[in-house]
Amino acid sequence: MHRFLIPLLILIAALVAVRLMDDPAPPAEFTLASENEVFTLDPQRMSWLADMRLANALFEGLTAWNTDDFTMRPALARSWTTSPDGLVWTFNLRPDARWSNGDPVTAHDVIWSWRRLLLPDTAADYSNLLFDVQGARDFWSWRTEALADLPPDDLIAAAAQAETIETAFADMVGLKALDPHTLEVRLEQPVPWLLDQLAFAPLMPVHRPSVEGWPKTIDTSRGWHESTLPTIEERAFVRLDPNSGRIEQDPRWARPGTLVSNGPYVLTHWRYRRDIRLAANEMFDGPQDMPESVLVRSFPDPNTALMAFESGEVDWLTGVSADCRSDLLAQKDRGLRKTVHARPAFATDYFLFNCRDTLPDGRLNPFGDARIRQAFALATDKQAIVDHVTRLGEPLTGAFTPHGSIPGYTPPEGLGFDPERARALLDDAGWSDRDGDGLREDANGEPFPPVEILYTTSSARFRRIAAALRDQWQRQLGVTSRLVGQDSKFFGADRRKGNFMVARGRWYGDWGDPTTFLNMCRSSDGNNDGGLSCAAFDDLLDQAAAADEPAARLDLLAEAERVLMEEQLPLLPICQVVEVTMYDPDRFEGMTEHPRLVQYLHEIRPQVTQP
Amino acid sequence: MRRLIWHRLVQLPLVLLAVYTLTFTLAWLVPGSPLEKPEGRRPPPEVQAAMAERYNLDDPWTFYWSYLERASGVAWVTGETSGPIFDFGPSLRHENWSVNEILAGQLPVSMALGLAAIVIAVLLGVSTGILGGLRPGTTLDLVTQGLSVVGVSIPAFVVGTVLLLAGGVWTGWFPVGGWGDLAHMVLPATALSLPFAAYIARLTRSGVLDEMHSDYVRTARAKGLPERVVVLRHVLPNALLPVLSYLGPATAAAMTGSFVIEKVFAIPGLGMHFVDAVLGKDLTMIMGVVLVYATILVLMNLMVDVLHAWLDPRVRQAGVAHG
Repeated sequence: MHRFLIPLLILIAALVAVRLMDDPAPPAEFTLASENEVFTLDPQRMSWLADMRLANALFEGLTAWNTDDFTMRPALARSWTTSPDGLVWTFNLRPDARWSNGDPVTAHDVIWSWRRLLLPDTAADYSNLLFDVQGARDFWSWRTEALADLPPDDLIAAAAQAETIETAFADMVGLKALDPHTLEVRLEQPVPWLLDQLAFAPLMPVHRPSVEGWPKTIDTSRGWHESTLPTIEERAFVRLDPNSGRIEQDPRWARPGTLVSNGPYVLTHWRYRRDIRLAANEMFDGPQDMPESVLVRSFPDPNTALMAFESGEVDWLTGVSADCRSDLLAQKDRGLRKTVHARPAFATDYFLFNCRDTLPDGRLNPFGDARIRQAFALATDKQAIVDHVTRLGEPLTGAFTPHGSIPGYTPPEGLGFDPERARALLDDAGWSDRDGDGLREDANGEPFPPVEILYTTSSARFRRIAAALRDQWQRQLGVTSRLVGQDSKFFGADRRKGNFMVARGRWYGDWGDPTTFLNMCRSSDGNNDGGLSCAAFDDLLDQAAAADEPAARLDLLAEAERVLMEEQLPLLPICQVVEVTMYDPDRFEGMTEHPRLVQYLHEIRPQVTQP
Repeated sequence: MRRLIWHRLVQLPLVLLAVYTLTFTLAWLVPGSPLEKPEGRRPPPEVQAAMAERYNLDDPWTFYWSYLERASGVAWVTGETSGPIFDFGPSLRHENWSVNEILAGQLPVSMALGLAAIVIAVLLGVSTGILGGLRPGTTLDLVTQGLSVVGVSIPAFVVGTVLLLAGGVWTGWFPVGGWGDLAHMVLPATALSLPFAAYIARLTRSGVLDEMHSDYVRTARAKGLPERVVVLRHVLPNALLPVLSYLGPATAAAMTGSFVIEKVFAIPGLGMHFVDAVLGKDLTMIMGVVLVYATILVLMNLMVDVLHAWLDPRVRQAGVAHG
C-alpha cells in the first residue's frame, strides 16, 4: 500500500518546488486594475491606451495636458516661442531636468528619440506623427529605400549605411539642438495641434545610453552627446539584422533595472501580464502628496476585477465589466453607490457604410448611393437605442467628433430621426414598394438586398445595437437585414477588405483636433474602410490645412464635417462612448473627468481616511 | 521497460515535428496579422509592410523554417544564435518579452496550480470513493455520488465565481484573484480540482466495489483477516490502479487546461495566455506553448507507464515478455 503514496508524494514535492519559485508583489499606495493588458513600455512603439497611461507615469514629454480642460502646460519644456508663420518653434528645456540615473535631459535626447520614432527600423505605429516636420518624410523614404537596396546578408554594407543615419538625419530633418537645453523644430506646414501632440507618448524622450545598452564605462553624466559614441557591436541592446540590414532593438531595455525614465515614476517590477509596480522617481520634482508607489494589476476577467474592487484590494477600476455597467449606474442614480463614475470619452460608436457600388464578391451594394446612406441614418432612432439597448445614458450624436471635446470647435448637428424624409429619400433613389408586400423593390422588381450588418462578438453591446438597427430599419423603411457576428480577427479582415454593407466601429481621437476623427474619411487614408471618395470633403480638409488663422481653420473643418455628416454619411454615428470607472472619491482626489480621459497617476491625491 | 522508454524518447522529436507543422498550418490560416489591432487607427501601409517583413510575416516558408531552426536548437548547435538552446523568439504581441521568458514565468504557475488541484482531487476523490465503495447504497454513498455528478457538470467559471464571492468578497478570508501567497492558491486549486475529484471518486468507488466481490478478498476474509487489513492490504492496491492510470492524463490536463480558472482568478498562468495568443494570432507564442505542452504530455504519459509497470506486476511482466 505504501507504494501508492509515492505518486502522491511526487506530486506534493513538485508542488512545493514550483511554489518556492514565486513571491507576491509588495503592496503599493495606489493599486489600479487594468482591464487592458500592457503590451510595451517603449514609448516609441506604443499605440494602446493602457500602455500610454504608463508612459505618462514613467516619461515626461515637452508639454503636458491640464487634465481639467485639456489646454497645454509646460513640462520638460518650460517655455516656447513660435515664428509668425508658425513654421519654426523653439523650446526651452528645463535645465534641471534629470533622468532617473542622474544624467541631464537634453535637447539631444528629444531629437534622438524622435529620430528613433521616425526610423523605419523601429516600425512604429505612429511613425507618421512627425511627417509634418521639415524633411522627416524624406528621411523616412531615404532610409526605407537604402534598406531595400542593401545586398542581403551583407553586414558590412548594412553597418556602413547605418553609420550614415546620423549625418543624413542632421542634414535632412528640421530638428536642431541650438544648445543642450534649446530645441528648434522646423515644420513643413503649420501644425495647430503641435503642442497637444508633444504631450503624446510616442513623442516622449527616452534615454539613449540605456535604450541602446551602452557599456557602463562610458560616462554620460554630462549628457551622452558629450561622449564618443560606442560602435554598434558595443551596444548591448541593438544589433544589425544580417538579412535586412535593419537596426534591431532588443526590447529588454524596457525592464526594471534597465529602464531609465525622466517622469514622475521609475519602474521597479514588471511581470508579464501579472503586475507592474512603479515607485516615485527621486530625480523628478513631483507633487508632495502623489502616491509614492503604484501597482498595476492585470485582471483578464472584468468580473474578477470588480470583485477585487469590492473587497478593497483595488483602488481604481479603469473599466467596469460590460455586464454590470448599467446596473451599477442605476444603483448610483438611486444614491447607493458613489464609487461608480460614468464619463463621456473622446470616442464615438458608429456604424460604417460601405460606400462602394459593389461588394468584393461582385454583388450590388445599394449603400454606394449617398441618398440611401442618408435614409438609413434618418430612419435610426438613436434615443431608443441609448434608452433601451445600451442603457448607459450616452450622449447622442449626429457628428463624428464628440461634442465639447475640442476647445473652440463645434461639430455639426448631423441628421436626426426623421423617418418620413428617410422613406422619401429611398423612393427618390428608386427603391419603393411597388407590389404592396411591404418590402421595397427597384424599377425591375428586384427586392432591396438584405442589409448585412457586420459586428464583433466580443461584447453583447454591439450585437444588441445591430439587432436594434435591424428592427428599426425593417419598421421604418421596409428593408430586411441580416446580422453577421464575427470574431474580431475575422471582423477586422472583412472590414479592411470592404467585405460588408454596414459594419460597426468605434474611433478614439488621438490628439485634440477634429482631424484626428475626420482624416479617417479622407479618400486616401489607410483607415478609410468604407471607401468614401468625396472630392469636396478632401478639398475642405486641404484648405483647412493651408489656413493661417486657427479660427478660420476650425470653421473649414466644421464645414468639412457637415458635408460628411449631413450629405455623405460614410458612417452613422450612434453615440459618444461612455467609460465607466470605479474609485472612492473620498479616498482619492485628482481623477480627471474630461472626455480625453488621460489620467496622470502622479496627480492622484490619496486622502487621509477618517478613522 | 528500458526499450519502452527509449522508444518514446526517440518518437518525441517526430511527434513534435508533426505537432509543429500542423499547428503552424492552422495558425497561419487564421486571418489578420498579430501586429494589427482589431480596431482603431492603423499605421501607414509602409510601416505595416516593414513590421511584417521584420517578423517574417510576409512569407510562411521563411517563418516556418527559421522558427523551426531556432526552436529545435539547430541554430544554437550551428552557432547561429548565442541565445537559449531552444529559442522560441520574441512574442509578436508582447514585444518586450521573449516566449522563453514568458514560458519560464508562466509555466511554473500553471504547474503549481495544476499539481495543487490534483493533490486536492486525489485526497477528496479517493476518500469519498472508498467510503461509497465500502457501503454501496447507503445515504453516504448516494450523497457522495450526487456530489460527484455536480462536480463534473458545473462549469468552472461558475464554481470559480461562487468561490470568489463566498471566500473573497463576502468573508474576506482569501484574496480576490492574483498569485503569490499560499492563500492565493486555495480557491482556484479547489475550483480546478472538483471535476477531477469527482472522476477519481467514481473510479475508486467502482474499483473498490469490484474488488470487494473478488475471490481473493473472500479468501482473505476466510483466513480470518480483520476487515481493515482486507481493505488496506488487498482491496485498495488493486482498486486504485485505474486511478493511477488516470493521474497522468489528469495531471497533464490540470496543468494545461486551467485557462478558465486562470482567467476567473486572474492567475498569470500559461493556459489563459495561450488562448489569448491564439485569438491574437501571436504565432511565436502559439508555437512555443504548443511545443512545450506536447513535450509535457508525452513525458507525463511515459512517466505514468513507468509507474504503472512498477506498481502492477502484471503490466511489468507483460512488458518484459513483449520486449
